[in-house]
Amino acid sequence: MFVKIKGLNFRYKNAKEETINDFHLRINKGEIVSILGQSGSGKSTVLRLVAGLEMPGSGSIIINNVVMVDDNNFVLPEKRGVGMVFQDYALFPHLTVEENVMFGLKKIDRKAKKVRVGEVLALVNLKEFSKRYPYELSGGQQQRAALARALAPQPSLLLLDEPFSNLDKDLQLKIREELKGILKATGITAIFVTHDQSDAKALADYIVILEKGKILQEGKPLEILE
Amino acid sequence: MKKRSMKSIGLSFLLVFSLLFTVGCTSSEKETKAAEEVKVATTKQAVNLYTDRHYDTDEQLFQLFTKETGIQVNVVKGNSDELIERLAREGKDTEADLLMTADAGRLHRAKEQGLLQSVESDVLVQNIPENLKDKDNKWFGLTVRARVIVYSKDRVNPASLSTYEDLTSSKWQGKILTRSSSNIYNQSLLASFIAIHGEDKAKEWAKGMVANLAREPKGNDRDQATAVVAGEGDLAIMNTYYLGKMLESSNPEEVKVAQNVGVFFPDKDGTGTHINVSGIGITNYSKNKENAVKLMEFLSDAKAQEQFAQANFEYPVNPKVEPSELLKSWGDFKPQKINLSQLGEYNNRAVEIFNEVGWK
Amino acid sequence: MIKINNKVKQNLNAWSVLSFIFIMLIILPNLNILGGIFSPANENWQHIKTFLLQDYIINTLKLVVFAGIFTILLGTSLSWLISAFDFPLRNFFKWSLVLSLAIPPYIAAYTYNGLLNYTGIIQTFLRSTLHLQINQKYFDIMSEKGAIFIFTMCLFPYVYTITQAFLEKQSAALIENARILGRSPLEIFFYIIIPVSRAAIVGGTSLVILEVLNDYGVVKYFGIPTFSTAIFQTWFAFGDIDSAIRLSAVLLLMVFVILFLEKILRGRKKFSFTTTKIRPITRQKLIGIKGMIAFSYCLIVFSLGFLIPTLQLIYWSLLTYEKILNAKFLSLLANTVFISLLAAGLIVIIAVVIANYCRISGGTAAKIYSKVTTLGYSIPGAVIAIAVIVFFINLDHRLYWLYKFLNPETGKLILSTSLVMLTFAYVIRFLAIGFNSIESGFEKNGVGFFEASRTLGMNITETFWKIDLPMIKPAVISGFLLVFVDILKELPLTLILRPFNFDTLATKAFEYANDEMIHEASIASLFIIAVSIIAIYFFYKTGDKEAK
Repeated sequence: MFVKIKGLNFRYKNAKEETINDFHLRINKGEIVSILGQSGSGKSTVLRLVAGLEMPGSGSIIINNVVMVDDNNFVLPEKRGVGMVFQDYALFPHLTVEENVMFGLKKIDRKAKKVRVGEVLALVNLKEFSKRYPYELSGGQQQRAALARALAPQPSLLLLDEPFSNLDKDLQLKIREELKGILKATGITAIFVTHDQSDAKALADYIVILEKGKILQEGKPLEILE
Repeated sequence: MKKRSMKSIGLSFLLVFSLLFTVGCTSSEKETKAAEEVKVATTKQAVNLYTDRHYDTDEQLFQLFTKETGIQVNVVKGNSDELIERLAREGKDTEADLLMTADAGRLHRAKEQGLLQSVESDVLVQNIPENLKDKDNKWFGLTVRARVIVYSKDRVNPASLSTYEDLTSSKWQGKILTRSSSNIYNQSLLASFIAIHGEDKAKEWAKGMVANLAREPKGNDRDQATAVVAGEGDLAIMNTYYLGKMLESSNPEEVKVAQNVGVFFPDKDGTGTHINVSGIGITNYSKNKENAVKLMEFLSDAKAQEQFAQANFEYPVNPKVEPSELLKSWGDFKPQKINLSQLGEYNNRAVEIFNEVGWK
Repeated sequence: MIKINNKVKQNLNAWSVLSFIFIMLIILPNLNILGGIFSPANENWQHIKTFLLQDYIINTLKLVVFAGIFTILLGTSLSWLISAFDFPLRNFFKWSLVLSLAIPPYIAAYTYNGLLNYTGIIQTFLRSTLHLQINQKYFDIMSEKGAIFIFTMCLFPYVYTITQAFLEKQSAALIENARILGRSPLEIFFYIIIPVSRAAIVGGTSLVILEVLNDYGVVKYFGIPTFSTAIFQTWFAFGDIDSAIRLSAVLLLMVFVILFLEKILRGRKKFSFTTTKIRPITRQKLIGIKGMIAFSYCLIVFSLGFLIPTLQLIYWSLLTYEKILNAKFLSLLANTVFISLLAAGLIVIIAVVIANYCRISGGTAAKIYSKVTTLGYSIPGAVIAIAVIVFFINLDHRLYWLYKFLNPETGKLILSTSLVMLTFAYVIRFLAIGFNSIESGFEKNGVGFFEASRTLGMNITETFWKIDLPMIKPAVISGFLLVFVDILKELPLTLILRPFNFDTLATKAFEYANDEMIHEASIASLFIIAVSIIAIYFFYKTGDKEAK
């Protein structure tokens, strides 16, 4: 098992009820998992817990045999080697696309960085936009830039938070196919969160349906949808 | 990782506690550390002076002093109350050797706070009359000013003026102008009455004054003269030197004001006109006492006195020295005969009386 | 236990330790003051209580209440005029009305007195040219009424700017609706504008009130016994620091009551400059007599608040510049700029550290911290001065061993006779201004970028340098400018806490004026005004850039 999540509980400050209640998940390497749920179901919180942006009340998260969280440990987000594409992309507005992508590349020399940035931008088809600033890109381009940025440091796990929510319907279908291609091409393990069944069906190898912080149903797309 | 975080917790606690401790022991600490020796580190001859005077002529006198004695005079100028507070705060660590400030009341306050020390000097005793210095020789007057009645030349016949007490008579109702009682000059004036006439009489006088005021006390001494000329009242209480300053003003309108008022020295036949001094004393923790005494003697000497007094349109303390032509033109007067130390001794009582009778 | 350790690991880092130290340094001196209420009273205090305290309270309240009312009237009416109408020179007035803020009240006070008193230019003209006998009562500015006038003219921009920004950005739909429903402009003003912008008005007015409470220069010059003059008086003239602390404590209680009232009055609304979906009001054109009335109203306020005092100062400076502008003045200028830059820089750094920590940790501690940083701005300068001096003398006694170790010849009072003390006091007093600006900068950017950076492998500090700082740069700059100007103008703290022989433009101008050398005070005053204007200009410019 590549990712093992067990007995995860979480409650926001001042909240009365648990936002996440006894959540568990096991992911094989290279698998794409979708967490499906209404807004407020806690699905984004799961991502934030995996990324290390929130600390669970209890439970454990193990990625690639490294304990990220349990009762005795907590690895800071910058040490987890987990990539994340944010719902609103969070592209740094004062940096160009190229600089954004290069941002997560540490500890390698400049030349190697350039090469890696070139690779990733080619992958998402943004090579000719490398010198642009985020506000000079369209919505779809921004989304791909955010994806490239998350992929550049070669994370062991990629998290995508509602990757299509800011896109028009037509664009959404096109990007969805592109994304699937990119993910499969890199062979990366990924969790993505969505409220749209068709997204989940189109992209995921495995689906978890979340309601009010609890797992309602889980299984292969064909088993649980329809 | 765990170890490091524990360490920083410990560190921050340490910081807080040490800071809390600092605050907690504010006052108890001050007295216990009383016996520390003071280093006297003076290689070249110098004397450090705190003063509330700021006249260029003073600088010239100090240069002359340096030329004669080789002693450098370092001057720190400031507001007199702040200088005294500063001196108190610095305690035995002060750099100051001399404190020079206006008003015997203030000098007395410095003495009472233990900031000054006694000086034995025949020269000073010779140059400065007995009543213009501290009983314990802790401060010495250098210049004299009188607090007089200033009247409108148009509307008041000086023959109708006589004493301070007369100002409380009903004929002056709504005619008198004076500044606020928070000012030391008024406090010293009332303190002199307490010393001469006793508390009850002094209070009666203050009450009578309040009843006769033309307006609420406000502004400084100059403003009172201006208000007389502007017709707000007929008489004002004012220190002599302010009139001199107004006559020298760069604003021609102010000169006109000064020309339109007359000076009257009250109580010529009675207990005398209220006088006060600008004086000097050696600080309790002076590190250059000898030099300080030399400078005091120098300033009281006939040679320096004339220039020193004239800078501020004041009367020299040294009886051998003549006042300036302007002051002479105002005529002679009989000064109060009390020892000026008493102005300080009765200062608190004076302030209380002012507040009690509602002299703002 | 294990869980606690985990928490600690996530939160405890250089940022939190530094924030904690800064906050403690702000709180500690002020604790002494509040402690003053509980220590036994001395004789002096009995006397003050019986004969003076009532006056202090009444005078202070009078100034606060009337200055508050008049700034509200002036500020809201002008912001309404500027936001909703077009009339001759409206665009000019829109920004020039703010300029009054560049003139510190104490400078306005002695300028107006010099202008209006018996020997001033107006009375001299009436007397010698028109041969009029003038009743001094009509020209008496050195009174409570005069002080209220000065405060109103100098401080109304606080209400004006906040309310105007609010109206311009947030009220278009409401006003247009009311117009369509057939309401007259006056009705709209009273039934829509005032209630809707209540939070903005209250916010601006509370700034005015805090400024009035803090003032020392005007009341001292005019001879009005208020709390701040009383604190100086008991401290310096009577050498009675205990009673001074006691007075400070009473004043502090008044401040807390006012802040509490503000909270109630403001209600749950926050006045915020939300930048989303700005739709400016379509302004109504005022023509003919109505336009002229609006124009004259603005012109009068602008003249009284800025033009007249400035022209008078320029005239005086022409009389005295040869005497004043010399090497000494240059060193004065250098002093002022140096200390203002130093303290403003320090304040911005501390504000950034605390704001960043508060944003990241987001707990109860963070909430308390951000309250504490704003504490200093509510505390009048005279009170801070006392708190700081007691604190530093004490600190010097505690650190004496260290001084002795470093230099055997040392005196005991090192910090409390140095610029450190003054700088420290500036930090306490003006941290709020820097903090508010920077906090809003952080708020505007949200945490998304910060989190993105963390998932890309950067820790808090790396993220701060690479992401946060570049993004909040405009907020940092405008915070710096605001603080810089405030320190430049600051009077009470500087007067008390400066080391000897250290003068700033403000203290020098005030000393000259207090020595009845108003003409000589003009050049220093003009410098303060000029630098303030430049800073205000840059402040608005960075604000505009941000808006774009």
